Amino acid sequence: MSQRIRNALFKYMGSRLALKIGLSLVVMFFCSISGYAQTPGITIKGKITDSKTGEPIFGASVLVKGTSNGTSADLDGLYTLGNISGQDIIRFSYLGFETQEIRVGNFSELNISLQSSTSDLNEFVVIGYGVQEKRNLTGAVVSVGSDEISKTNFQDPISVLQGRAAGVQVTSNSGAPGGGMTINIRGNSSLNAGNSPLYVVDGVPIETNVSSSLNGTENFGLNPLADINPTDIESIEVLKDAASTAIYGSRAANGVVMITTKRGRSGKPQVDVNFNSGISTVSRNLGVLNASQYRSAVLDSYRNANSSEQIIPAVLDSLSAINNGDFDWQSEMFRVAKQSNIDFSIRGGSDNVRYAWSSSFFDQDGVILNSNYKRITSRLNVDFDVSDRLTIGQSVSYTNAVNNRSNAAGSGNLSIVRELLIRPPTFAMNLPDGSLNGYQLGRRNPVGLAQLSTNLNKSNRLIASQYAEYKIAEGLKFRSSINVDFVSMKEDTFIPSTLDFREGYNTGSVRSSNNMTWANENILTYQKQFGTSHNFGALAGFSYQDWKYERTGLDGLFFTSDNIRTLNGAGTISNQGVNVASEHSMLSYFGRVSYDFERKYLFEANIRADGSSRFGKDNRFGYFPSASVGWRFSDEGVFDNVNFMDDGKVRFSAGKTGNEAIGNYTSQGEFLVGTNYLDYSGASPSVMPNSGLTWETTTQYNAGLDLSFWENKLMINVDAYIKNTNDLLYNVPIPRETGFDFITQNIGSIQNKGIELLMTTRNVSTLDYSWSTSFNISSNRNSVKDLPDNLLTNGFIQNGAFHILKEGFLIGTFYGWRFDGVYASDEDNVNGITNGAQGPAYRGGDPIWHDVNGDGFIDQNDRQVIGNATPDFFGGINNDFTYKNFSLSVFFQFSYGNDIYSEINHQRNSIVRYNNLSTDALNRWRQQGDITDYPKPVRDDPLQSMSRIQSRWVEDGSYIKLKNVHFRYSLPNKMLNRWKISKLDAYVTATNLITWTNYTGYDPDVNSYSGLRVGVDEGSYPQSRTIILGLNIGL
Amino acid sequence: MKNTLKIFLGILLLSIYSCSDDLLQRDPISSFSAQGFYKTSSDAQAGVYGIYDAVQATFSTNFSLWGEGRADAVNTNQAGDPFLLQQNTLNSILASARWNNLYETISRANYAIKYIPTVLEDDNEFGRQLVGQARALRALSYFYAVRVWGDVPLILEPYESVQQNIFPERSDKELVLNQIEADLIFASENCRASFGGERNRILITRGAAEAMLTHLYMWKKDYPNAIGSAEKVLANNLYALVPMNDWSRIFTQGYTNESIFEIGYNEVQRNSLRVLYALGSDSNFFPSQSFRNSFEDGDLRQDLIYDVAETQPRKIWKFFGQGFSDESPDPSDKNIVLFRLADIMLLKAEAHHQMGQTAEALSLLNTIRNRAGLANLDEAGATNLYGDVESAILHERLIELSFEGHRWFDLVRTGKAIEVMNPINGLNDERNLLWPIHEDALNRNPNLSQNLFYQ
Repeated sequence: MSQRIRNALFKYMGSRLALKIGLSLVVMFFCSISGYAQTPGITIKGKITDSKTGEPIFGASVLVKGTSNGTSADLDGLYTLGNISGQDIIRFSYLGFETQEIRVGNFSELNISLQSSTSDLNEFVVIGYGVQEKRNLTGAVVSVGSDEISKTNFQDPISVLQGRAAGVQVTSNSGAPGGGMTINIRGNSSLNAGNSPLYVVDGVPIETNVSSSLNGTENFGLNPLADINPTDIESIEVLKDAASTAIYGSRAANGVVMITTKRGRSGKPQVDVNFNSGISTVSRNLGVLNASQYRSAVLDSYRNANSSEQIIPAVLDSLSAINNGDFDWQSEMFRVAKQSNIDFSIRGGSDNVRYAWSSSFFDQDGVILNSNYKRITSRLNVDFDVSDRLTIGQSVSYTNAVNNRSNAAGSGNLSIVRELLIRPPTFAMNLPDGSLNGYQLGRRNPVGLAQLSTNLNKSNRLIASQYAEYKIAEGLKFRSSINVDFVSMKEDTFIPSTLDFREGYNTGSVRSSNNMTWANENILTYQKQFGTSHNFGALAGFSYQDWKYERTGLDGLFFTSDNIRTLNGAGTISNQGVNVASEHSMLSYFGRVSYDFERKYLFEANIRADGSSRFGKDNRFGYFPSASVGWRFSDEGVFDNVNFMDDGKVRFSAGKTGNEAIGNYTSQGEFLVGTNYLDYSGASPSVMPNSGLTWETTTQYNAGLDLSFWENKLMINVDAYIKNTNDLLYNVPIPRETGFDFITQNIGSIQNKGIELLMTTRNVSTLDYSWSTSFNISSNRNSVKDLPDNLLTNGFIQNGAFHILKEGFLIGTFYGWRFDGVYASDEDNVNGITNGAQGPAYRGGDPIWHDVNGDGFIDQNDRQVIGNATPDFFGGINNDFTYKNFSLSVFFQFSYGNDIYSEINHQRNSIVRYNNLSTDALNRWRQQGDITDYPKPVRDDPLQSMSRIQSRWVEDGSYIKLKNVHFRYSLPNKMLNRWKISKLDAYVTATNLITWTNYTGYDPDVNSYSGLRVGVDEGSYPQSRTIILGLNIGL
Repeated sequence: MKNTLKIFLGILLLSIYSCSDDLLQRDPISSFSAQGFYKTSSDAQAGVYGIYDAVQATFSTNFSLWGEGRADAVNTNQAGDPFLLQQNTLNSILASARWNNLYETISRANYAIKYIPTVLEDDNEFGRQLVGQARALRALSYFYAVRVWGDVPLILEPYESVQQNIFPERSDKELVLNQIEADLIFASENCRASFGGERNRILITRGAAEAMLTHLYMWKKDYPNAIGSAEKVLANNLYALVPMNDWSRIFTQGYTNESIFEIGYNEVQRNSLRVLYALGSDSNFFPSQSFRNSFEDGDLRQDLIYDVAETQPRKIWKFFGQGFSDESPDPSDKNIVLFRLADIMLLKAEAHHQMGQTAEALSLLNTIRNRAGLANLDEAGATNLYGDVESAILHERLIELSFEGHRWFDLVRTGKAIEVMNPINGLNDERNLLWPIHEDALNRNPNLSQNLFYQ
């Protein structure tokens, strides 16, 4: 390159450091092209084939080892390569096949048959802005391939990771079709700036906040990745340590999930059809009182309240036409639900075009009446070689999903699950006139809620990425891409008047949202081998990303009819209409250098500079560096004679990542409009500005060990890490006298440390029979290291209703009163403990609370740690068996040592006025002297016996679950050849078959809230047991 | 040449992103940044309506919890605030011990008071009356705060930065009362005399400011000034007593000529009136035995105030209309009347009585009695029935203004709280007349100390 341009470049750089780094790298690359030279020699040719099928391998790489002299095989697997000397070693490789190296010697023709490796992509893993040979990784990356995905029947990528990826904790928010999941990679590293990882689909960082419910009726109701059809996925990589994630800088503190979809390969088209269909049933029913048991409990609750009202509650009148029922509402609600799925794909390519085209249709009923999820996906991935140097391509995926949701876990009496469990069994289904008994004494009819109300969510999503890649010189490539993720969603709700107590009172709403993010990324990569042993790589790039969110909505009531549910039917529009928009942008520069010596000493360093519009002018840019080293000690001389070990490598990494997950305008402060007075529009201050806000940063250290023995019969990967997060973005509560509830500040620190083990064994491997096992286990301990003193009241921060944050304690610590049993009689309360300083003394049948400070009364100061939601360890074990053409895969997942705060058990043991109780209440205290651990039910619960946050609702959430069983029969080759098809498989997949647990709710795999309020069961949509039958045909 | 082109393209791409400051400066679209508001006169108007929005939230439940919960007109079956207030077992986790909404109102008012003058010149009538409304609403908030908690932090500047003292201390209540007086006098001089139509009832007018001043002076036992303010209210032709036939409409319809200031609500911006009163024995409050027994025979208001026929539950239907039977615990869209003419007339009667002007006092009292179908009382009659004239007036306030949130403050103001409530719930300590400060407020602000009685 000319000096003139170089000067121009330098001049251009000005003083911006980030730019400087980026451009220095650019310049370096341009400079290093010049040293390229060629040497004369002989020519060699041959054919490369698949050892199994004998088919030619188009595109297989042929390379003179230690040089860049290489070529690739043509359509017929033929290659010709010149400029070779007899001393050269030729390296033959292709993705998915074992690499072979052969010394040329006197050969002039080398025909090679490559062995397919045990699993596709086993050799390579996708990393940020590139791929890397798995054995050369220096960071902590876990990978799940398409083989494993195909053995599950999950319809979203996150479920696939559950129990399969060490260090990745996945819990279900809801068992609903398309329901949400919470994913935590190496623990919680943020207090309230978000703990969800960054998702990157085919290089497109996608938006995941959009898919949660718009109208807030159910917490975290939707799965943000349900729009991605798992069948399309080639591999999912989870980047865990800072060395792997720092290239994604400010969004990477919670790890990065890279999803790579299948692309076409040159060769004849491969047609794949996969059809399956099955049923699900609810995995468990919970015990509730029947009508007569219920009436007796209500009577008790009146008697125990010593109510001055000597009225017999109407619910006890079994002759009344609306009170003569005897229902377990669960059996009126849960159904055997059907589902079916069909996938269709064609993949292939010619000389210069490769394509992967697929579409799918999925239709699933939920176990709750009327709930249904339908999804259509369509994808086209194309790569086109315009010339030897220029390749362009596009990945486009479109998803349409229609989710007829149930308001399973919403608040109050609109929650179906809660109504199922606490609506009195005596309430009639229908009124004497035959119409639905929709509402009675504050309880709504759950069957009516499910069947008559509307909660319809429709979404359209386009994820598209368009790229051009130009080979500037050997080893030097420039790639530019435009990525788009567009989600449009519409949600309709309607509650008909038949479910209300007021004549003609029905309510409805409509919400629609658009979420558009686009990014432009420009990357220069350079890869070169110097001599035979020095491998050098570098990458430099910059990107710009822009997010825009818009939401529009309207609420109405008094609709003309329950049958007209669009808002034009509303008699009253009950708000001024919602229409808000917000935006956010980020500009980034990043770079990487890597070097290894004979694949033995490995080194890599990354840096990213991110500038975000969310922060004030002076704090806009954050810098996120990382470095890692690896040492393949098995290649050292001393190991030459150690035959049982194939490979041994240690890895170390350190680096910094960030989190910018705060409100788009938090640092600027905000005046909210819409704080109206009647019809007069108002505005008011809502966020106090803090221009000093900056990134939350996480520094992570990782040490890893990769071992393989006896020709890969045993493979072990171990990782240990420490993650320190500082400058936590936190909404610090301030005195309300200021007019504000909190200010967002950078405060305190959290530490996560843990260890992860992945062990894969090939136990038996014969011609007919094989058995392999994969086992992973992880343990993460997080603790709050430092909180500013002025935030602490009584030494901790209350975090929602159930949890506290306290220095030295785990996140997810439950805090409340310890329940020590029940006073058998009034005299049992020998110390005369009272309820509050001035309240009454506890009597027979009241709970015994632990009087922590011994002051003789129970109040706020008697709260203590009553449990913790963090498991001691969790993981999964998978066994694959094959016998001839049969294969069986059995997968267990487990979690041990975590507690669940069962808010739903509180709900269903709290009679309040007329609620039904769990069958545990049969064991309740009834009279003086009764020895039991179930307190007396008291109308309105004046002493908060049930409603206190208490150890009684904390249960052991440990479990082992037979999560997945997959049995498959593949038609033998002989038959296939006769029918001229490449594959015909029949399979059965069962999900959630058996769960071993002491937890008494629907399922221990539950998490009603995201973020730090972990381990609470509010009564989500129950999990179901699913069995499907399927057929997979390849042409 | 080819390389030159490549580099040129590279530079082009970089230059697209070179103005990072522009690319990374994103102002709010659907809201204002803190620096971006109070730029126009419509901002000024919106800022003031925003204060009313906070007032709606403040009084939704609390007008009754503060004004009735601890007094003798109500009884309750409800655990929580109603029960603890009635039993006089107040604790620091009561919902009504929170002052959050009052201070949110004050904060919004402080923004308006500071910034409206930057938008509209001092001599601009539109701006001045807006500031007048803001100051009146700030005064209203502090007036409740002082009466409920005694000394409270006196904050007159908006919070705009972490550098401000975010841990304010409590100010002496006399200081706060002086500020309230100054704010209300400003409002009575600068607010509009009339907006025309319904807005006269739901926005602060000069009359509303005078009515609040009357209350303030009565609280301070400054009777001459109370009479002065009340006279301005009585002379204001916006206000007139409605005939007995329309008495219910003061509450059920709102916007009557008797109303001086009521907080507007509608189908969307709703309050807790129904939960408070509409659900019979399931509601927060129902009429106490002593209240029911205290009616004089022939009082036309009795069966408009509560369900006299049914033994259980005896629901209060004053706010919803006679015969109201809907028992849904849903929010209500009825306005909450804070100040009305009958209230000011009776306060004026009290002031006259305190000044020894019994004739004027009885005349005002009898105006209210006559409307309710009751005969005139003379001093002897009043003494005979109620012990003295003051008690007769207070009794009239008890009935006429029943459940409107005045009773407790009347008892405290006249020094009768202990006398009346001791037999009911054992109240016997002057210091107990205040509420405790909520635990959350104490936890958040180390410079606050709990009221003595609750320490």
